[in-house]
Amino acid sequence: MATETHCPYCSLQCGMRLTGRRAPEVSAWEEFPVNEGALCRKGWSAAGLYGGRERITSPLVRDRETGEWSAVTWDDALDRVVDGFRAAQAAKGPDGVAIFGGGGLTNEKAYALGKLARVALGTSQIDYNGRWCMSSAASAGIRAFGLDRGLPFPLADVEEADVLVLVGSNLAETMPPAARHLDRLRERGGRVVVVDPRRTPTADRADLHLQPVPGTDLALALGLLHLLVAGGAVDEAYLAERTTGWEQVRDSVAAWWPERVERVTGIDAHEVRALAAMLAGSPRVMVLTARGAEQHSTGSDTVLAWINVALALGMVGRRGAGYGCLTGQGNGQGGREHGQKADQLPGYRRIDDPAARAHVAGVWGVEPDSLPGPGRSAYELLDALGTPDGPSALLVLGSNIVVSAPNATHVTSRLESLDLLVVCDIVMSETAALADVVLPVTQWAEETGTMTNLEGRVVLRQKAITPPSGVRSDLDVIAGIAERLGSTASFPTDPEEVFAELGRASEGGPADYSAITYDRIRAEHGVFWGGERLFGESFAHPDGRARMLAVEHRGAAEQPCADYPVHLTTGRVLAQYQSGAQTRRTRSLPDDGPFVELHPLLAGRLGVATGQSVRVATRRGQMTAPARVVATIRPDTVFVPFHWVGANRLTNDALDPASRMPEFKVCAASVAHA
Amino acid sequence: MPERILVVGGGMAAVRLAEHLADDDRFAVTVLADEPHAPYNRILLSAVLEGTHAPSALTLRSEAWFADHGIELRLGARVLEIDREAREVVLVDGERLAFDRLVLACGSIPTLPPIRGLVRRDGTLHPKVHAFRSLADCRRLDEALTPGTRAVVVGGGLLGLQVARALSVRGLQTEVVEGADHLLASQVGPGAGRVLARDLRRLGTEVYTGARAVRLTDDGLQLDNGYVLPTDLVVLTAGGRPSTALARRAGLMVARGVVVDSTLTSVTDDRIHAIGDCAEHRRRTTGFVPPAWEQAEVLARVLRGEDAAYDGRRSVARLRATGLEVAVLGDPEHAEGEIVEMSNPIVGSHRRLVVHGGRIVAAALVGDLSRVGLITQLYDRGTLLGPDEPGQLLLPEAADAPTPLPDEAEVCACAGVSAGEIRACGTVGECVDRTRATTGCGGCADVVRRLVGSSPTPVAVG
Repeated sequence: MATETHCPYCSLQCGMRLTGRRAPEVSAWEEFPVNEGALCRKGWSAAGLYGGRERITSPLVRDRETGEWSAVTWDDALDRVVDGFRAAQAAKGPDGVAIFGGGGLTNEKAYALGKLARVALGTSQIDYNGRWCMSSAASAGIRAFGLDRGLPFPLADVEEADVLVLVGSNLAETMPPAARHLDRLRERGGRVVVVDPRRTPTADRADLHLQPVPGTDLALALGLLHLLVAGGAVDEAYLAERTTGWEQVRDSVAAWWPERVERVTGIDAHEVRALAAMLAGSPRVMVLTARGAEQHSTGSDTVLAWINVALALGMVGRRGAGYGCLTGQGNGQGGREHGQKADQLPGYRRIDDPAARAHVAGVWGVEPDSLPGPGRSAYELLDALGTPDGPSALLVLGSNIVVSAPNATHVTSRLESLDLLVVCDIVMSETAALADVVLPVTQWAEETGTMTNLEGRVVLRQKAITPPSGVRSDLDVIAGIAERLGSTASFPTDPEEVFAELGRASEGGPADYSAITYDRIRAEHGVFWGGERLFGESFAHPDGRARMLAVEHRGAAEQPCADYPVHLTTGRVLAQYQSGAQTRRTRSLPDDGPFVELHPLLAGRLGVATGQSVRVATRRGQMTAPARVVATIRPDTVFVPFHWVGANRLTNDALDPASRMPEFKVCAASVAHA
Repeated sequence: MPERILVVGGGMAAVRLAEHLADDDRFAVTVLADEPHAPYNRILLSAVLEGTHAPSALTLRSEAWFADHGIELRLGARVLEIDREAREVVLVDGERLAFDRLVLACGSIPTLPPIRGLVRRDGTLHPKVHAFRSLADCRRLDEALTPGTRAVVVGGGLLGLQVARALSVRGLQTEVVEGADHLLASQVGPGAGRVLARDLRRLGTEVYTGARAVRLTDDGLQLDNGYVLPTDLVVLTAGGRPSTALARRAGLMVARGVVVDSTLTSVTDDRIHAIGDCAEHRRRTTGFVPPAWEQAEVLARVLRGEDAAYDGRRSVARLRATGLEVAVLGDPEHAEGEIVEMSNPIVGSHRRLVVHGGRIVAAALVGDLSRVGLITQLYDRGTLLGPDEPGQLLLPEAADAPTPLPDEAEVCACAGVSAGEIRACGTVGECVDRTRATTGCGGCADVVRRLVGSSPTPVAVG
């Protein structure tokens, strides 16, 4: 009997079937609409994760003197955790304990984690790695539309566009089955545009590829809007009827003529004109941004600038057109809706909104005033760990901070300064290896729970196999901690029961799950919260109009200089996922290790050939890896994949003022023959 | 009490300064713009004339914007005099405005070339004659364009070429007269100038270089070589000079422009500053927007008491005209360094990089702007290049050679399938079942179809 479920990796949440209760096998689930049976290499090999020798099956504690690990009972482990939390809070108050979650956790876990923080611990200090993923697009979406749902339409709508502009997305490698839509769009006569400093496999499938200097996508958007205004291509009727703020935006782009854009972005002015001409003549234009545009200290403004382009053309709310964000992590969407974010309560409610507090407190059976206020954002939280004003104990779920945080050497030193680090994981990840207590938890096919994919479609991952003895679900861990803390609120451990409670807590909020049930999800191939397509009639602001906000190009926080003369950008490769804690341990996935991609011009300058070792250094750290000399990258830019320890020792921790997104995607670096 | 800052002028530099001082309650800023409309983007005027830029989309900041950001904008306000002692300016209507700091952003005024008949006895321009500096000039010229009109553009600099192209695109029979021996003489050398002249002629515009217009008569514009160019319009684009009359009368040191130090402060009066076309820094006036904006930014910081200085080293001038490709970085005719040059008169391109100490210090790119974006980045950032790089930058980018596919080459990245594994399959269906190739992103379907059952001879893709 096959179990219908979803891939453990990216935000596409491809449907798949699993057979076999001990050694599961993946087979296609053609009926599931998002991927229609297609899977990438990671999906096909997903079952390779199960039962590896590296799996942790007993709680472990580490002796700080000797560094030795020893297995302990669950009771012992949880007692130690709670004793440590109590000590931290006794010394520092409720905020002495922090929680760090992940965008790969199910909705149920994200919800329970937020409740654990606000009710059982009473701490405001909770955030998650999704802050480093979609937060810039989320912040921009909320400001422009009044609502953040990555794609406000089903992914397949992409095929109906006449021009699809992908800004900083390499979906052919990061979510391969999604690339099929590009081919179908082009078969229909539509055109694909890719904006990326690298000519990626996605750009290879595009009709037009623009290769900007990293960190200048915003200027390109301003330049496009300039040309659209100049050419009379904007939809004045739409702007008058459905938006506010157009006049100031229009005036603000008068200063962005193509030759100025060329000087800032490094894109030839005639290419800027070519793209504007393509947009101006097309009835359906769709703009999708991804991390390449968003992971910047100017990420949210960059998204706003592209949203302005889509709004000015009158595209948002039109079928086969508009704006969307290609969410990254498996539950990137749901993970930001149910309360593991520092400023949020379930249902995408704001924690500083009195009505939201009253509603959620009612569901939780506590006084609204007992709920803490907003806490620190992800990077700021990690930066504060172990400092006089910061938390001294941290609980981590679904995140491998040591590999994935920017300015990783500094962040690692913060983790090491804690009095207590507790990590829930399936393997001894680089972060777990620093912990005082490691709690072994169930994974993917061993448990049930919902995920919300990049389209806002709530899908159900169903338990297919029996977990190894000795591991517990994250929900059990959360309940165990809450119980030992003496919480009076209930912490159910049955996912369906948690989902029902989440539904009540989210009721009436922007992301309202109250009408969604496991049975409906099974029957309908997933259920969209808020409806299948949004913004057709009105936007989520009280007046129903979209806000157009004038934004200015500021550029990357760190610009090249004599000592660090090139741009460094980071990203993913097809066969690996995020910090690689899972994929690097899957035998059927090739682990070729990190590499440094550089252009022949730069390689010639340095005297480096493919395969030779190069050292990349920034103001924050350095790494050494083999060179890959390719003509597909800008000559002034190098690329390093971030799945291995190293890349994030280099990256910059400059934050976006609105989203608190770190600038993963660009910093100044030096490169040399190692 | 906020510091009263008076900005004389409402052009590109003035708006930029206003943007940087917006919403800062340490300052009470008043912008005195002598033109009657909200500040607009002057450099787009030739595009407006050409018809590629909507005239309604020129406004840089609306009157409402100034009001919203706490800045007083006075349109049509002309300054008659600066009273340095009283720290006041006097407007033409006699009104006096006090200042703590005065910023001169008066721009430049078009030079009138010595052509007899240009100015009539009453001091007004001959009705055929047009300047091209302001929105009003642009409108007046636009109104004069009727089918069959002939035009002569006096001046073969950047603006002259833009205007000539615009008129030509609008269907006018257009000619260009340039006194120097080649076009764009202040930016590029004779070789590049010749390429440009040829491009213009190919586009239908006749070019007379080394020829001065001397007289405008009813027959047309007479050149010093005796030719008479019959014409309905004469457009003057032969440069401008910094607008310095106010400063001069106020006793400020003026050479070609208002002389300022690196904090954009007058060397005569530390309460008076100058930015943009009217300013002279290290014996140089600029005439371009990017340095004017840089000056505005530096001055804003200076006014806020920050440590800032203008060094004005790097400028990029780009021609904005349909069918003409020109980029000038720095001063390629005079910059010190080694010259790496590639000229191809057959296709009409002339490109020169001036390299000093491994860095591009100037460049002229005419007729072929490939890699202009990259070259500009390397120039702006002063990137240290290897010895071969300047030459390589001017060569065409090598097209990707077709990649032969040996058996071990990965064809399907999604499923990790090699060419050899696919060749071993008899049909596409068998290949899908056995290897899962094509079942991910689908990008390899074409190659798989060609490889299935094929011999292991390399197949070219790409």
